Amino acid sequence: MGFFKRKHELKKVPEGRVEGFYKVTGSGKYAAEYKLENVCYAVLVGSTIAAGEIIDINTDNAKDIEGVLDVLTHRNRPQIPAFADEAKAKRAGFSLPVLHTNKIFFRGQPVALVIAETLEDANYAASLVTVSYKTDQAKVDFDKEHATVPIAATGKERGSMDAWSNAPHIREQAYTIRNQVHNPMEMHATIAVWDGDKKLKLYDKNQGVNNVQQTISRLFDIPPANIEVFSEYVGGGFGSGLKVWSNVPLAIMAAKQVNRPVKLMLTRPQMFTLVGYRPQSWQNVRIGADANGKFLGILHQAKHGTSVFDNYGEGITRISRLVYNFGNLKTESATVPLNLGAPTWMRGPGDCTGAFALESAIDELSYDIKKDPLQLRLDNLAVINDPDTGKPWSTNFLNECMTKGAEMINWKSRNPLPAQTKEGEWMIGYGVANGMWFAGRSKASASIIMQKDGSITVQTAMTDIGTGTGTGMQNIAHLELGISHDKIRIKLGNSNLPAAPSQGGSTGLSTISGAVAAVCDALKMKLAGYASSQDAIFKDAKPESIVLSDSGIAYQQAGNHLISFDKIFSKENLQTIEVEASSGPGEERQKYAFCSGASHFCKVRVHTKTGKVKIDRHVCVVDAGYVVNKLAAANQVSGAAVGGIGMTLSEEQLVDSTHGCFIGGDLAGYHFAVNADAPIIEVDFINKIDPNINPSGAKGVGEVGIIGAAAAIANAIFHATGKRLRDLPITPDKVLLAKS
Amino acid sequence: MRPFTLQKPTTIGQAVSGKKESAQFLAGGTNLLDLMKKHISQPDRLLDINSVLSEKIESTAGGIRIGANVRNSAAAANELILSKFPLVSHAILKGASPQIRNMASMAGNLLQRTRCPYFYDTSLPCNKRKAGSGCGALKGETRMAAIVGHNPQCVAVHPSDLCIALSALDARVIINGKDNKETSIPFKDFHKLPGTNPEKDNNLPANAIITAIEIPSNPFNKNCSYLKLRDRESYAFALVSVAAALQLNGNRIVEARLASGGVAHKPWRWYEAEKFLKGKTADLSNFKQAAEIIARETHPLNGNEFKVPMLKGAIEVALQNCLTA
Amino acid sequence: MEKQKYSRRFFLSTSAMAATLAFIPVGVKAFYNNVKKLVIPLKEKMAIKLSINKAKYNLTVDTRTTLLDLVREQLDLTGTKKGCDHGQCGACTVHVNGQRVLSCLTLAATVQGKEVTTIEGLSQGSELHPMQQAFIECDGFQCGYCTPGQIMSAVGCVNEGHTHSVEEIKEFMSGNLCRCGAYNGIVQSIQKVAK
Repeated sequence: MGFFKRKHELKKVPEGRVEGFYKVTGSGKYAAEYKLENVCYAVLVGSTIAAGEIIDINTDNAKDIEGVLDVLTHRNRPQIPAFADEAKAKRAGFSLPVLHTNKIFFRGQPVALVIAETLEDANYAASLVTVSYKTDQAKVDFDKEHATVPIAATGKERGSMDAWSNAPHIREQAYTIRNQVHNPMEMHATIAVWDGDKKLKLYDKNQGVNNVQQTISRLFDIPPANIEVFSEYVGGGFGSGLKVWSNVPLAIMAAKQVNRPVKLMLTRPQMFTLVGYRPQSWQNVRIGADANGKFLGILHQAKHGTSVFDNYGEGITRISRLVYNFGNLKTESATVPLNLGAPTWMRGPGDCTGAFALESAIDELSYDIKKDPLQLRLDNLAVINDPDTGKPWSTNFLNECMTKGAEMINWKSRNPLPAQTKEGEWMIGYGVANGMWFAGRSKASASIIMQKDGSITVQTAMTDIGTGTGTGMQNIAHLELGISHDKIRIKLGNSNLPAAPSQGGSTGLSTISGAVAAVCDALKMKLAGYASSQDAIFKDAKPESIVLSDSGIAYQQAGNHLISFDKIFSKENLQTIEVEASSGPGEERQKYAFCSGASHFCKVRVHTKTGKVKIDRHVCVVDAGYVVNKLAAANQVSGAAVGGIGMTLSEEQLVDSTHGCFIGGDLAGYHFAVNADAPIIEVDFINKIDPNINPSGAKGVGEVGIIGAAAAIANAIFHATGKRLRDLPITPDKVLLAKS
Repeated sequence: MRPFTLQKPTTIGQAVSGKKESAQFLAGGTNLLDLMKKHISQPDRLLDINSVLSEKIESTAGGIRIGANVRNSAAAANELILSKFPLVSHAILKGASPQIRNMASMAGNLLQRTRCPYFYDTSLPCNKRKAGSGCGALKGETRMAAIVGHNPQCVAVHPSDLCIALSALDARVIINGKDNKETSIPFKDFHKLPGTNPEKDNNLPANAIITAIEIPSNPFNKNCSYLKLRDRESYAFALVSVAAALQLNGNRIVEARLASGGVAHKPWRWYEAEKFLKGKTADLSNFKQAAEIIARETHPLNGNEFKVPMLKGAIEVALQNCLTA
Repeated sequence: MEKQKYSRRFFLSTSAMAATLAFIPVGVKAFYNNVKKLVIPLKEKMAIKLSINKAKYNLTVDTRTTLLDLVREQLDLTGTKKGCDHGQCGACTVHVNGQRVLSCLTLAATVQGKEVTTIEGLSQGSELHPMQQAFIECDGFQCGYCTPGQIMSAVGCVNEGHTHSVEEIKEFMSGNLCRCGAYNGIVQSIQKVAK
């Protein structure tokens, strides 16, 4: 028995998403697609130096272009109240440069914003803005800079490092990962519309409308209630939409300046510098085990890049504290300020990076000990208690993930020795690695509006960035209320709807499912209240004893004391019935630790002469509690695995330290996986309810599909070739040049 | 984009006479519009030549003639090309994406500009884009850059796949000049090395228009292969690529053709290795020696040394693939 | 046409590359010391007739307007998506005369006399196209932003006959990037329709 009593069985739910029709017909509106009268276009001009200051800006030529309405620079932009002085800016918690200074912190920093009648006019005019700079020495070379930054303890040390200094097996290795960029398919965009001086509408691409509302409220000194944010369809996020970036206040400023609605969509190259990235990292892992492979201790050190104007911490070493039993543990970290744009959370932030080092090091150790890497992991998993807090895991079936995955990929058929299996000039190898993610949950609200015909609309401010949140909500509402799917509409992504946190960190469904369950109970109680005037049996009824269906409300079982919705609406003379409820985590969080887990298995082939790596098979088995919608959940996991393939084999934002910039910032230069890079990803779930996490028993799956994927692939490459690649991405040149 | 006038000539003569210095021909537009959006190319006038040029693929006495306006995808799927010049089809299908191949014209493919990131970023130095501004890549990131035929002026590489096959097969570029007379340029002389004017990619006369590509009949249709190595499986430019073709008599090589992309400012033929293979047995040991000869010709830059062993591997594999093709 | 070609700034001298002029002292005037001419042409407009999703349009467009920007910004056909604007992602895929092409690299004025089909014109009346239906059933998307381009491309892939194996489908769908990584469902949708 858990904190939450389940009121429904695991029923099969229909497949297909609530918003599917709108997505396959292209009729769902993304931020830049709302049609607004008199809208004009803004195009950003970025700095061409990485550090220094603006001496002069010439916007005359740009302003001369037919159709250009104005050009904003730090000299003439409207004042943002929050940037009036340093203290105010600090309080507003917004550290990004938005034309409020002549100082340059990174290449691509906004220095001007051209506003014009048409996109064509604005684009051309933007090319005519010229800037002269005083250039300072820029720091962009992470490899060079990180050596100068001291490392400090992160989290509590367990046991001591001396205790295992003589362990029979000790492995110590450094692992590095280059900058990776979110690149959601929809570029960040904002349409800003002022209604007078104090009311604002924003059509914006983000992962949390309330976050945008609150941030803009602070920056522009407008009450949140006067700011409406629409983000009904969001073309991917992966973390880039968790923060309010400079494009939002810039669009608002521009709209103020020209007194018209302004549309600002970033260009793809701007997506590389202005909306975050996963920063380059260096890690060192020392891991020790006894002769049988019992882990004795670990030292995990990590450093990663951040911007010079905004300190961002990844939490890379967190993963080492979670998955396995290490009696002795020390984690240390540091951030390295660089003249690059601000990094931010990107899919599986921290853990994704950390897991590459941890799971690679474990793999290296397994070959030292000559023990099956699968068994070594199984023997050391911490599935009973969270090793960090000592709290029992509410549920943790990572061991079952491993066993199931091993079966799926036929792990036992693998030759235990590396570099032994050949097919012509291809070498074949298998790899395994685990991933884990804290299963978080926040407070959220939802409401239901019921119509006379018994159809309902369930709504919340939360966005659906493609995870299937809306579909999950529909499924939960159906399970809770018994109302048919086709009578349940979902409304999301509007700040006027009941408040919800941003969708990120795999907490979306876990968070909102509680609110949906709560509002379903509220609807039952409200209906029971009305019904009790017609049938006393509903007086003092509890949600558990109320049974709803398309026909109406019943007591304890379908049809029993049935009163039709129509009858209730007529009797009470109602147009609609509206209820709202909130739900959030409670004391279960004191008692238990929560996680989602995943095991990744990979079969690769590596060409001996060209260094080409092909993924033959990729299996991912996930433990994330109850799976509310298997199709959407499997899609999340396989999509994350595809992200993992890109991360491992090809994603790299090159940095040119001579010119102080990212190089090749577009989708031809930055290679995330295309269709042909991935095999059909094989996904399965343990699908056992977590009875303590929330009323639905479901946990998030968005992150665990990528956490550990990189190590599984790198480990498979080692098994295939005997070459250990410790620097991501593992492009063919690195494979070819590596020594076995 | 900078504003421009769009005109639609109806004859080759009109097209050629309209091609003043600030005008550009528009066929598929897949590279030109990209460059115009980046303000790298800023023509005053675009001449839409789509109704002017031939879209025919014809058998000729000496081989095949492919109209300039044939789309890449149409050429790749053409029966005549598949049976007589399959190397051309293989190479086309390794380039770009199906959508781009549906748009891109055969002549336009020859005129693609480099994908060097320094050429594409107008705020960085690039002699090819802005003469005298310096070579950004040489001081910066050279991973994608040339390993042969480069000079301190420019280390950019030619991006086409089709052209590597055309180079191996000694194609000819058919052009109409100012006088509206048809002449031709051997493929090896069409593209140029950077020299002192890297802003020029090829030797096409200023006012000329490409009207067709001719490939002479050859015995390479049975044993040929195109291998492209890149950072992902598809839709990426080459790290190195190899077009290989063998004429075999039993297992003896009568004649060999080897060309590479991703290595030089132009499609690069490996004449020494071809000469070496002539008369030799078609086996791995000779393929390895050919690869060694090729490796000795290269001069990798600081940062792209990997291209040499990768090229060697690619040469061996491409030649082996000729035997199983 | 020529006489109205240039705006008054035609003869104004200015500097083209200020980035290289970091040493120039403060003051806008310094910018005009350079003698290089900057030519600012006026935009050109053209009257065109288009057929999009079998509807006829008489429009006056800027010659620079791409088919993508035309449908999205002027015709409210926002189903066609802008994912890169440079031919590197496939989100803007439409059909021109039945062939899948990229609308971001197509000038609107060059598709006169051709039939353009966008995602909005793919379905017949209220019936979804079988590919759209398959994408729903196979969950061939997540965020949905690349989806119209994927579907237009998938229809092209089937019409071209590139559906003999998973590998072939994957290769011939690699011009359509999906950052959500919904490639499983995309391939399955195509297999379903190709049967």
